[in-house]
Amino acid sequence: MNIEFTSNQKEFREEIRTWLSAHVPKKRLRSFDTAEGFEQHRNWERVLAKDNWGNVNWPEEYGGRGLDLISWLIFEEEYYRSDAPLRVSQNGISLLAPTIMEYGTEEQKTRFLPPMASGEEIWAQAWSEPGAGSDMAAIRTKAVKDGDHYIITGQKTWSSRAVFADWCFALVRTEDGSSRHKGLSKILVPLNSNGLTRRPIAQLDGDPGFAELFFDEVRVPVKNLLGPEHGGWGVAMSTAGFERGLLLRSPARFQSAAARLVKLYKSREKYLSSGIGEKVIQAWVDTERFCAATYQLVSRVEKGASISSESSANKLFWSEMDRQLHRTAMTIMGAQAELEEGLDSIDNGRWLDGYMFSLAGPIYAGTNEIQRNILAERVLGLPR
Amino acid sequence: MDFSFTTDQQDLIDAAKDFFDGENTFERMRSIVKGQKVESLWPQFVELGLLGVMAHEKDGGMGQPLVLMAAIAEAAGYSGLPDPFIEVAGITVPLSASPEKLISGSSQLAVLSELRKYIDHNLGDGTAVKSIDPLRNLVKVEGTCDQSDKANYHGAVLSAAQLIGLSQRMVDISVDYAKDRHQFSKPIGSFQAIKHHLANVYTQIEFTRPIIQLAAIKGGINVHSAKVSAIDTAMMAAETAIQVHGGMGYTYEVDLHLFMKRVWALCGEWGDRNYHMKKIEEYVLQGDAKLGPGNTFN
Repeated sequence: MNIEFTSNQKEFREEIRTWLSAHVPKKRLRSFDTAEGFEQHRNWERVLAKDNWGNVNWPEEYGGRGLDLISWLIFEEEYYRSDAPLRVSQNGISLLAPTIMEYGTEEQKTRFLPPMASGEEIWAQAWSEPGAGSDMAAIRTKAVKDGDHYIITGQKTWSSRAVFADWCFALVRTEDGSSRHKGLSKILVPLNSNGLTRRPIAQLDGDPGFAELFFDEVRVPVKNLLGPEHGGWGVAMSTAGFERGLLLRSPARFQSAAARLVKLYKSREKYLSSGIGEKVIQAWVDTERFCAATYQLVSRVEKGASISSESSANKLFWSEMDRQLHRTAMTIMGAQAELEEGLDSIDNGRWLDGYMFSLAGPIYAGTNEIQRNILAERVLGLPR
Repeated sequence: MDFSFTTDQQDLIDAAKDFFDGENTFERMRSIVKGQKVESLWPQFVELGLLGVMAHEKDGGMGQPLVLMAAIAEAAGYSGLPDPFIEVAGITVPLSASPEKLISGSSQLAVLSELRKYIDHNLGDGTAVKSIDPLRNLVKVEGTCDQSDKANYHGAVLSAAQLIGLSQRMVDISVDYAKDRHQFSKPIGSFQAIKHHLANVYTQIEFTRPIIQLAAIKGGINVHSAKVSAIDTAMMAAETAIQVHGGMGYTYEVDLHLFMKRVWALCGEWGDRNYHMKKIEEYVLQGDAKLGPGNTFN
């Protein structure tokens, strides 16, 4: 065990810290679930990409720096420390990109990764359906082969960012008559395709962070198939592993929130009941635990270990930690907790936004109940 | 930066685990509970060199760091080992200037601390006290304590590590019970209510072990975070385990109580929850510590 950063890693930290302090927008951007905010965030992705900071752990040829995952953690730490904007490209860079790198053809890598890195193409996920939520194998949206095209018909929902995004990665039924986990495929679809209609869905904060997608004989070239035809479940599960596990939620995001929570507590301490301090401490301790666990997981991955069901424990831990942390902030703010912005609001409603978003954590990427089933059955070995 | 064990270290941990599990069986512990005489494991600790894991190589030890000892302590906790091996090998030996007698087994000693009121009767003199843990034979320490920050540090880390081992064991025996016990014509482990309880405990264990290892390597505030997290995890594991076992868990008919009672004991040893929580409070809420990303490993 060696928990010292190398001199290269220390220099890297200095370098990104210096760059961020010169480039992070002074004024917070609008939510990327608004049209204006989406374009502001897309521009920020361009700024990051221009100096190759968007995806430090990607290979250089696709717009990364070819660095290891420890460097990625360092990047994330400095990124959240600087309070830089949230990543509007996260569905692409955290979920789709690792899958393309694992399953994509050379042509697909060259075609899709650079514009994803530069913010020119922002991605949305199109997996869930009205009848296929936790039971994702109940997917009914069909893709029928017609020469060198698929013709997709059906309906997807809960597609985050899809209102303003450019592409989606869809999980659809390609094999006629197939059922459950068999006969599915992953297909990359431009969101401006003919026959594809997007219906924005207002989220808890009122902004259209989701879309429902209606596919009415949407034609997509066969070369947009990602991974084996009819083998989409396996491809999707590799994405789900990234989503629940490592890449979507690094510890820095939560550690930064915990540090802000301590400040909030100190600013209002004299109004608070005695139990609140312990909740603040618990939030801080939990984010440190998450950090230690993540470095350990990354160390094992760097030595060749693969992540499987552990990602379910990861998702349970960060999502419940995040909700508890933000609920504590809501409690501390008392009567001001409901204020979105303007007069008397605290931090322009940032805690309120955070609390609302934290309520989604235990639901998206597979509900926490599904994660508990996975852990109980696949790790602990309890009967189905 | 490589926050994981080497293959050699992992082999040593696995060997210690196999030894504890192989020797400290349910049968051995049940015999002790019944007051029957059992073989001391001390000659084998000596023979295997386990008492010298942390001693310098020049003193005949293995020169291993506290983080490795913590993994061995987790294994000892898992087996329910009642012998005060972790005390001697993980605290007395590394604090001793000349540990040869301890390593060779000719002496057994505890380091006294204000954070520990009761010690194993083999490790020092004092008046007998009665623990609810039928495997702990304790005396109340009299006389002055050797004020030792290092002992407190090792003690907190190693008690936390044992708590995690105990937690994992309670999950495992609960899983076994839930697969075996049938109600409504099904194993109770097939019900989500049971599954979700146990998955929650598993998750807490997985997110406590790394902070214990960080505490072992880096010390400082992590030690307090580690002990508090281990206490909370182990109490949750114990309460979940008894719930999964139902009425059987409330008896001497199953072995769960042995592990549960050890948890109660270790939660208060080497600094209880209040002690460690106050230390974190001083650091986080009252101090001007650097918080936020980038400070955990720096």
